[in-house]
Amino acid sequence: MSGWRALWVVARRDFVAIVFTPTFLLFLLAPLFMVALGLVGGGSASIMAANADASEKLVAMVPETEVAAFRAADARLRAIARVPTLSIVGQSGTPAPDDFARYAGDANVRAIMVGSASTPQISERQPGSGRYLAALAETVAREGLASAGRAPVSHPTIAPLSGARGGSRAGKSAIGYGAVFGLFLLTLLLGGQTVGMLAEEKGNKVIEILAAAAPLRSIFLGKLFGMLAVALLFIAFWLSLLTLGSLALSAGGVGGVGGGAGGGGGGGAALAELATGPAVGWPIFLMLVLAYFIAAFLLLGAVFLGVGAQASTVREIQMLSLPITLFQVGMFSLSSAAANLPGSKLAMVAEILPWSSPFAMAARAANDAAIWPHILALGWQALWVLLTIRVSEKFFRIGVLKSGGGSLRWPWRRTQS
Amino acid sequence: MTPEIVLEAQGLHKVFGSYQAVRDVSLRVTKGQIFGLLGPNGAGKTTTLRMLLGIIEPDKGERRLLGQADTRRVTARIGYLPEERGLYPGMRARDAIAFMGALRGLPWAEGRRRADERLPLVGLADAAGQKIRRLSKGMAQLVQLVGALVHDPELIFLDEPFSGLDPVNQQRLEELILAQRAAGATIILSTHVMGHAERLCDEIAIIAGGERQFMGSVADARAKLPLRVRYRPRNGAAADLAAILPADAAEHGGEWRFALADNGVEPLLAALVAGHFGVEGLAIDRPSLHDAFVHIVGSMGDGRTVEEVE
Repeated sequence: MSGWRALWVVARRDFVAIVFTPTFLLFLLAPLFMVALGLVGGGSASIMAANADASEKLVAMVPETEVAAFRAADARLRAIARVPTLSIVGQSGTPAPDDFARYAGDANVRAIMVGSASTPQISERQPGSGRYLAALAETVAREGLASAGRAPVSHPTIAPLSGARGGSRAGKSAIGYGAVFGLFLLTLLLGGQTVGMLAEEKGNKVIEILAAAAPLRSIFLGKLFGMLAVALLFIAFWLSLLTLGSLALSAGGVGGVGGGAGGGGGGGAALAELATGPAVGWPIFLMLVLAYFIAAFLLLGAVFLGVGAQASTVREIQMLSLPITLFQVGMFSLSSAAANLPGSKLAMVAEILPWSSPFAMAARAANDAAIWPHILALGWQALWVLLTIRVSEKFFRIGVLKSGGGSLRWPWRRTQS
Repeated sequence: MTPEIVLEAQGLHKVFGSYQAVRDVSLRVTKGQIFGLLGPNGAGKTTTLRMLLGIIEPDKGERRLLGQADTRRVTARIGYLPEERGLYPGMRARDAIAFMGALRGLPWAEGRRRADERLPLVGLADAAGQKIRRLSKGMAQLVQLVGALVHDPELIFLDEPFSGLDPVNQQRLEELILAQRAAGATIILSTHVMGHAERLCDEIAIIAGGERQFMGSVADARAKLPLRVRYRPRNGAAADLAAILPADAAEHGGEWRFALADNGVEPLLAALVAGHFGVEGLAIDRPSLHDAFVHIVGSMGDGRTVEEVE
């Protein structure tokens, strides 16, 4: 039986055994739990922050005649700055000391202003907490003078900015970092699964059946590619879901990633940055990211599989996978730094180092339009994938069959029995 | 016509760490035989089988299966039931058999068809759709046996196939092995239960302490020991009898046992009659394979299993 056929049989068995189980559904939906937890956490943090903001107050004790002007100015300034709630209290004369003391005694009051816009007296709880009141008074005073024709006031016309080519550097960096983070998360989540793939075979002795019928390399590669197929199914599922979601949002009138996102709020600005796209364009970028994911998965999966073959218990698997995970986090950090410093020496190191290369090159695709470095990098990574598989296979053989020895052979060379 | 050699091994050696598991083992099996690989626990039988099958590489020596030095080229023609049974618990019996067939080159669909066809032959008609984890140990073992044979191999390796089976299934397995031979297959049977080997094997090799101690027919192995005589006298004193009987004669509850002399039983009978001891009982026993095995193996081995050593 050919090694390729054995590889297919093993990969198919593993794929079916993983995918056609209820636990795979949980695995497939795992990101939803992460998102849900994130939303709950984020929501709680927002509520806490909002509550904190709502409890803080500023007080302006101004003449009755200026109350309307202060309210109007506060409404305009509040749109560009996040400030505590402002209580504007109209005074017909000098404020009673009791009123001032009452506000000053409230620990939530950060600053109190007393007097007219031209001569405000500001008391602040901490240095700087009364700055907004000072700016507010100045605005009211300027507008008062302007209405009397004694000072100029600017009246701007605001229109959307358009026509930029290639997107901003910040936007590309963001896309690059997103790619690095996404690839890291996926390889860690999916590549890490291979570590325990042999525990079942070792536990129930199926490995003896497999090893008697198929070359160990086919078993190793079958398991690796079986899990890769599961990983690609996982990605296809979520990509389809995200695409459908995006289309649904577009149809509902909300600007999607590829759609013409407008100005407006911060979310719109982020979408506009994404819409400008990576340097190589979205289609090539997505293809490259997929290719880099496969390279990263095979590099990491082969190591996890080889190391996992040494373990017989779940505890041993966890112990053995920890150093690899930490190493992978280190590669992620290096690639993240490279994504933020495109063209730097650090970025070059990350792009050449085989373990960080898939991540760093994905970031490069976001920042640099040249295609040839990717062809070179994919070839380089393929070489390392072969080397890693060969070395890991050696460990796999020793771990599984307690039988090593022999010289290291290249994957394309035929095994002599 | 020269019989076709289907298995040939020359000077196989295997060392695990500092332990020599197999030393200079040579074997030769001809087509259509049931060949017994016998030995005590830890003798090196399983390691020898694993080297023959190419699961592990010998440190030294050569082997050839079905005319091929590269055993991977003939995996589709070989069946193997390992000593340590292994099936995926979550698989259905039918799929487990088809999977084992697929590993040996049989299409999945054909494997499933044969599983449905053959499971009833081992009394497991209702097990095809059941998951392995729901089957008893003996049933799972039979499923694995069907899986090992599903692709109709020419050369079958069975490592301790009877362990864990009840007497009924042991009998059924013996019949199955004989049926495979009748169909033209060659069977390598590793066991330490002499009864099965004695009933089934055409030739045997006895391995002990990692070395081959004997290879030949069961009759040849028995011939290593002389015929044994059991004699019960009608009368006479033991001391007088001891003077007439051979030096190795020993009494057990009034019965004397000793090896038959080269010149037969007649001179002894004449002496007994002349001495008026009479004959209440006299039997001449052929030594069993068990006796021959114990005689050949002696005190070889240290009682450790290969797994412990590995």
